[in-house]
Formats: sequence, structure tokens, C-alpha cells
Amino acid sequence: MQPDIKWLDDPQVFRVGQLPAHSDHKIYGSEEELEQKESSLCQSLNGVWQFAYSVNPQARPEDFYKTDYNAEGFGEIKVPCHIEMAGYDKIHYINTLYPWEGKVYRRPAYALGADRTESGSFSEADYNPVGSYRKVFDLEEGLRGKRVCIRFEGAEQAVYVWLNGQFVGYAEDSFTPSEFDLTPYIKDENNLLAVEVYKNSTAAYLEDQDFFRFSGIYRDVVLYAKPKLHVEDVWAKPCLTEDLRTGNLDVQLQISSEDAEAEGRVRVILKDQDGQVIEEQNAAAASEVKVAFEPVREVVLWENKNPYLYKLIVLLEDKQGNVTEVASCDIGFRHIEIKDKVILFNGRRLIINGVNRHEWSAEGGRCITMQDMEWDIECFKRNNINAVRTCHYPDQIAWYDLCDRNGIYMMSETNLESHGSWQKFFPEPSWNVPGSVPEWKEVVIDRARTNFETFKNHPSILFWSLGNESYVGDNIEAMQAFFKEKDSSRLVHYEGVIYDRTYEDTVSEVESRMYATPDEIVEYLENEPKKPFILCEYMHDMGNSIGGMKSYIDLLDRFEMYQGGFIWDYIDQAVYAQDKATGNKVLCYGGDFDDRPSNYEFSGNGIVFADRTEKPAIQEVRYYYGLHE
Amino acid sequence: MDCTNKLQVIVGDATIGMRGDGFSYIFSGERAGMESLVQNGKEWLYRAPKPTFWRALTDNDRGCGFALKSGMWIGADCYIKCVGIMVSIDDQPVAVPLAPANNVYGGAVEADRASVTFVYETLTVPETQVTVSYEVYAGGDIHVCVHYAGKEGLPELPVFGMRFIMPTCADRYRYEGLSGETYPDRMAGGVPGVYEIEGLPVTPYLVPQDCNVHMQTKWVEVYRSTTLNNSDKEVKESAIRVRAEDDSDIAFACIPYTSMELENATHQEELPLPRRTVLTVLGAVRGVGGINSWGADVEAPYHISAEKDIDYGFWIDGVKNC
Repeated sequence: MQPDIKWLDDPQVFRVGQLPAHSDHKIYGSEEELEQKESSLCQSLNGVWQFAYSVNPQARPEDFYKTDYNAEGFGEIKVPCHIEMAGYDKIHYINTLYPWEGKVYRRPAYALGADRTESGSFSEADYNPVGSYRKVFDLEEGLRGKRVCIRFEGAEQAVYVWLNGQFVGYAEDSFTPSEFDLTPYIKDENNLLAVEVYKNSTAAYLEDQDFFRFSGIYRDVVLYAKPKLHVEDVWAKPCLTEDLRTGNLDVQLQISSEDAEAEGRVRVILKDQDGQVIEEQNAAAASEVKVAFEPVREVVLWENKNPYLYKLIVLLEDKQGNVTEVASCDIGFRHIEIKDKVILFNGRRLIINGVNRHEWSAEGGRCITMQDMEWDIECFKRNNINAVRTCHYPDQIAWYDLCDRNGIYMMSETNLESHGSWQKFFPEPSWNVPGSVPEWKEVVIDRARTNFETFKNHPSILFWSLGNESYVGDNIEAMQAFFKEKDSSRLVHYEGVIYDRTYEDTVSEVESRMYATPDEIVEYLENEPKKPFILCEYMHDMGNSIGGMKSYIDLLDRFEMYQGGFIWDYIDQAVYAQDKATGNKVLCYGGDFDDRPSNYEFSGNGIVFADRTEKPAIQEVRYYYGLHE
Repeated sequence: MDCTNKLQVIVGDATIGMRGDGFSYIFSGERAGMESLVQNGKEWLYRAPKPTFWRALTDNDRGCGFALKSGMWIGADCYIKCVGIMVSIDDQPVAVPLAPANNVYGGAVEADRASVTFVYETLTVPETQVTVSYEVYAGGDIHVCVHYAGKEGLPELPVFGMRFIMPTCADRYRYEGLSGETYPDRMAGGVPGVYEIEGLPVTPYLVPQDCNVHMQTKWVEVYRSTTLNNSDKEVKESAIRVRAEDDSDIAFACIPYTSMELENATHQEELPLPRRTVLTVLGAVRGVGGINSWGADVEAPYHISAEKDIDYGFWIDGVKNC
């Protein structure tokens, strides 16, 4: 397989040689490792890598992936880190408009006709920075002699990967894991991993989130080994009887084998939160294994105030009965449905006391730490925030685990925002993507699929969200159909259907608005409303704000079908930089890096400041979010 | 000094002085306001307090184009004309100008109370008037009464109050009111209590803007241990106390900057070095809003009409050592 730089220009090419998306269950070499939460099957490649920056594809060191390439001219970069935050490229903040506005005339391929391929749009651009990354590594003991894969948990925005001079694959979708099988080329020692990261490709049209525009490998890079038998995917489907007192659990496993025939045994164990075994199911290893547990009587429900988690553990044993892999994931029993046009959660009306949360730190941009995430959860808890929307892309995997453990109701949003293709200065969808353009269908379904497959076992996820501000059309409709076909246990959310209500019955199960005034909400709810109402964004907390929250909270008592919303937003997006006048470390926003065009301080709408101190307005949030649980 | 329980009024040639045990005040025609407020030997005024009509725009103010409608109040905030001064001693009017009428006094006049009233005319089209009266009692208590005359045709106000600029930075302030920074449309979460704030914090919004307002306050005490008096070697913390009238409350902000200083900065680090204390005692506060930041105004009940009168009052406590 040969890489082609033209993939950057073609929305129909978005994953080449990439492993299928699968559940984010953890894998260990033994039960002891599971206890210790230390896996001998995983190896981090984070650290200092060799790096070369090129302003465009033409200027890149094309042969850098070859084992005999002389990389003496390369500099260094930390992985994970945005290329811009490392100082190689300009930091740029812009909201709606595409970042090339006023610099390059571009239209998305096929949006204005099947003949408009826009070839060279990105591959021949004068400005399309390329990060050429090289990392030499030895395999750790636990990975040797096994099948070895690599996972990029986040790389923005188009990535070509080589190992030991051989092309391995290509990935887009900056905010979900991209995995490749390295087995054919891996050695125990002295492996050369080469990664070419392009700042822009056709994915740019779909990743127009209102944020700082970054590129590079900004989340963890992990190698993992697959023992002889390996759990590729877990799809645990906990459900409840109508009285909510008994839990039923079906588990579907996909197991791969090093040999043609999987030989061995699968033990699937359900434990309670304290680690007591409730039941064990056994099966012969096969590529697909399905088990159904006995009903769990007096099941403890998962909910905000008591996020009770059961543990699902899968032991894979070889023919001799040796445990070769242990997989685990947490599950929760809870039920969400719409009944009489009201969203019910565990039988009671759901109230969303939510925030939108971008991953952000003033030091690292969207490269954030476990400590940042734990701080955020504590902040949620002390301020009565019970729900989060992962605006407008999937977050780091650890965030989903934290939300499970802390009872945070999640709207898991797919990585899609294309408002530059229709919102512009005023709504004008003449070249909207994905819209109903056939060539843009598979790429957005793939994004939905990856969101679903990766996070499907997390009890915290109550809603799948199709994306944000991407207008509406056949392709968004197809995303919803995908989610509903795969997962009847959750609701699907999308706001943009309000722009074309002909899709009303097939896009979004809730009436979702952003920044509707209290009067507009009343108007909807008093005129034969079709769906329960939520605000996916409200209370725009830019600077000194959060005035008038009472008018929204009062609606909760007036209308059963008004079910709350997500404040915009959780944390100010601002970046630490050195003040030219004093040398002090100061917080900078759009326009402070000679970046134009920009939306300047519009990136700062958090209820916490960019340095993770609380804004004064948060006491108001705590008060009003404490009124309805 | 003996405790006479009487106020000493010095009818000067250009000022009215009022003295008593532990305090001395000077009201100036030339400065169009109270020029000096000394308690326990410490000066509390840097410049004569004036009415304030402007708050540094919040992001919501900017987004909804508030300045494009109400920008004329910036000028009124910066510059104001004094068009009248009235003085009375124990309710008896005193002729102004003071000289040569003051030749009749053989010394300080003893009184139970005395008052000075300044009438200001705003730099707006149409213009309107603000009347500020200071009534001083023998113990040094000052009752400040402020009247804004509503005028048809004037655009909404961002704020209305009196701005007291103190010569040096405060060490801290205490108040009885609501926790945190509150505004009329954002104070349900404020917990009543007595709060002490170290230093003069400015809420570090990305773009400096109006901040640190405290609604529903019973009293506020500002503590300073520095003065500009070159002969004052004593480092001793002293306080001034402003309190609401009985059965009423005030709003205030206590930060080191005027609204124009905040307004001029695009980042926190552009704010000047803190040098003074700006205590603003507010009679009307506009809400901060929050529906969105690109057009939605603050909700209607939290606007300040400039077409209606605003009346409020507060006390500056005396030294209470009699």
C-alpha cells in the first residue's frame, strides 16, 4: 500500500489501513495487573520525539520515514503537545469562519457539483503546515513476541504513519483514537516510527469548532500488544426491567486470535462495586462470543448521586488454562426513555444542570492532564453540575471513566462542526457540508461510528450528539439512523434541525436550541410541542455574565417538557504567553499572536477562568443548579 | 481636646471646614465637592468625590451594542460641571460665596450639624442635574444624599453612584452583605454574611471590565495603613466605614481603578500599578445579562432608565470616640 498525498483533498478518503473502532475497555496481562492497574501489554510512547516543521507539503522532508534517512536537521518536540504551543506555527483563534478566510479561496470538494473535486486544495496549498515526527523505540518485554498495535489517542488533523520504512496507514478525525497494526514490521529493538501530521485536509471543513486552531499529536501515543487471544471489542448491554429493580445483562465480545482458529476459553465475570463476584459465564473462545447473565435482583441503579458501577471482567485462557489476557470495563444499570414527551431517567423526569466543556488548559491548550480532569470533576460536584456535553468532539478516554465514576450525565458529541460552511456572517448554506452531498456521507457516519464504538459501554452517556452547528441534511440524518440502529438505549441529540424542519422526525429526539430566550422556549412549549426541550447551549458566560439565570430555571417548574440545559461554557480558552513589556506569564486570547482574522476574547466564556480558578458567577450556578436534582 | 459634642464649622473664604473630635472635613467650591475627609489624622480623599455614570463595559454590554446607545455617559463620567452650592448650619442657610460674608464670624461656629449641597449638571444632551448633599453631625457622621433628576430623551445608564478615590491602596475591606461579586440579575447565589476581602482584588476577566460589585450591603469598612503624608511615620491601620440608611442597603465596589482605567485595558496586565482605592457607592446597578453575548440585552427589569429620578443615601460614619 502506497500513501497518496491527494487523500488530503478527498473527503471520501479518511481512514486507510486503520483498525476498526472498538470499545475502550482496558487490557492486562493478568489479574494481578488488573488489581494494580498496570498493564504489561501497554507501552507509552509519550516523550521527546524528533521533529521537523514544514510550512506546506511541498517543503516537507518527503523521505523522512526511511530508515536510512539522515535526520540530523530535525529538531525536537514533546509528545503530546500541539505544534503551535511548541512554537513552530502561529497560534490562531477564530470562531465560525474557516481559518483560511481572506487568505485562500476554497470550497469543499463536490459541494458545488460532482465535478468540483477541488484537487490540490490542501495537498498543494501554500500554507498547510506539516509536522514530520520520528521516534525510535524498543519494545518493552511484555509486548515482545505478540501482535503489536499503535494507538494515537488524538492527532490533528490528517496523519500518515510508517514503521521501519513501511507505510502503515492514514487517519483523520482528530478527536478519537486512531489505531494501526504494526505486527508485520515490528522488531524488538530499534524501531523507527514516522508520522506525518498535516494541519489541514478536507477534515478541516468538519472540524471548524469555535476554538484555537491547532495541529499535531496532542494526546497520548500508546503501543499495545495482543496476546494469542485478545478481546477486540466489548459491547455490554445492561438493561432494566420495567420496575427498575432487576438488571439484565447481555455481553457481546469480539475476540481475535493469533492463529487462524481461536482455541481457548472465555470467562466473563460480573462483579459488584465492592468486587464480589455476582456471576461467571464461560464460553469457548470464538471470534464472536455472546453471553447472557442471570437477572441481577435488587440491582443498584447508576445515577448522579449514587453512581454505582458493576465491573465486567473478561478472562481469556489458552488451551492449557493459562490466563493470557484480562479485559475490564465498568458498567452501570440505568434507563433513559422518552415517555409522554418527557425524558425519564430511571423512571423520573431528567433535569439537566449541565455545562459544555472544551478540553482546555492555559498551559497545554487541548493537551490536558489527568489532574486537570480530576479538578474539573470536583468543580462539577461542588457546584451541583450534573451533566456535561463534550462540545464539540469526543474527549480523552479518561474523562468518560471519570464521568462514570462520578455520576455525570454525558452528551457524547461526535466530532463535527461545519458552521463555516453555512453560518458565515449570516446563515447562507449554499455550499454546506456535510449537507446532502453524497461524497461527504461516509466520513460523517464514520465519525458517528467511532464515537459510538469507542464509548458505547459508558453508563454516563445518556445522549449521542450528532455534532454542532453543521446545518442539517441527508448525511446528518444518516448519522442518526446509524446511532439508532446500533443503540436503542440512548437518545440522539442534534440542534441544527431547527434550520430545516423537514428533517424533524428523523433528526434529534429532543427539541434542542441554543441561546433561546425564555420567551422563545415558552412559545415552543405552549404550542403543541413535539419533543422534550433542552438547551444544548445557554447562559453565555463571556466575561462578567450569568445574569438572569432565574428566568430559565423557573421554566423547570412551569413545564415538564423543559428539561434544563448546558451552560456555555465550562472554561475560558486562553493561552499563557510571555508579556512583551514585563516578561511575565500572562493570559492571551485571539488576536494576541498576530493571528487574523480572529474573534479575539470570544474564546473566554467559562464559569472557570483559563487557569482553573472559579469565576465569581459560579456561586449563582451552584445555587440554581442546587434547586432541582 | 475636650469633648464638646458640638461641630466646629469654619466658614472659610473658599471652603467650609467642619471639625470635631478626631475628624476634620473640608468642602470646596473650587473643587466642587468634598476635598478632605480626615479621621484620626488620616486623609481619606485623593480628589473630591463626584457622581459616576459609567461602568467599564462588560462583554455583554459590548455584544448588545450598549455603548452605541449610551456612550454619551462616558463624557458625563469624566467631566461634570458644578452649577450650585448651598451651605447651611443648623438648618440656617449660609451665604455663598462665602467671602466677604464670612467676615461676620469671629471664629469657628459651633453647631449640631451643618450641610453642604453640590448641584451638578451633566455633559449630556439633553443635560440633567445631580444633587449631592453632605450633612455632617457633631460626632463626624456624614449623611450623603444623592438625587439624580430623570430626563426624557436620555439613554439608559450603565450605573449610577458616587465615586470616592482614596490616596493609597487599601489593605483589605470588610462588609456585611452577600458573598462574592453580585449584580441585580445575579445575586441569588450570594450568601448573606460578613466578609473580609484581602487587598483590592480585580476579577481577572480576560478583558478588564466592570467587576466586584456587591449588592445588598449593610456596611463596608475600608482599611488602609499607608498615607501620602510625608511626615506620617506611623504605620497603623485605620478604617473608614460607609453604611446604608436604616432598613435599606447599598451596593458598592472597592477596587484600585476607575471605570475608565478598566475600560482602556485589553488585558489585565495593561492595568496601571494599583496606587489608590476607588470606592464606588452605587444607587443603581445595571444587570450583567447572559442570554448571549452578541445582541441580547440584559433582561428588562435590570436596566437603569435615565428618564426616571434616582434617589439614594448612605452614611459615612464618624469616629465614635465621644
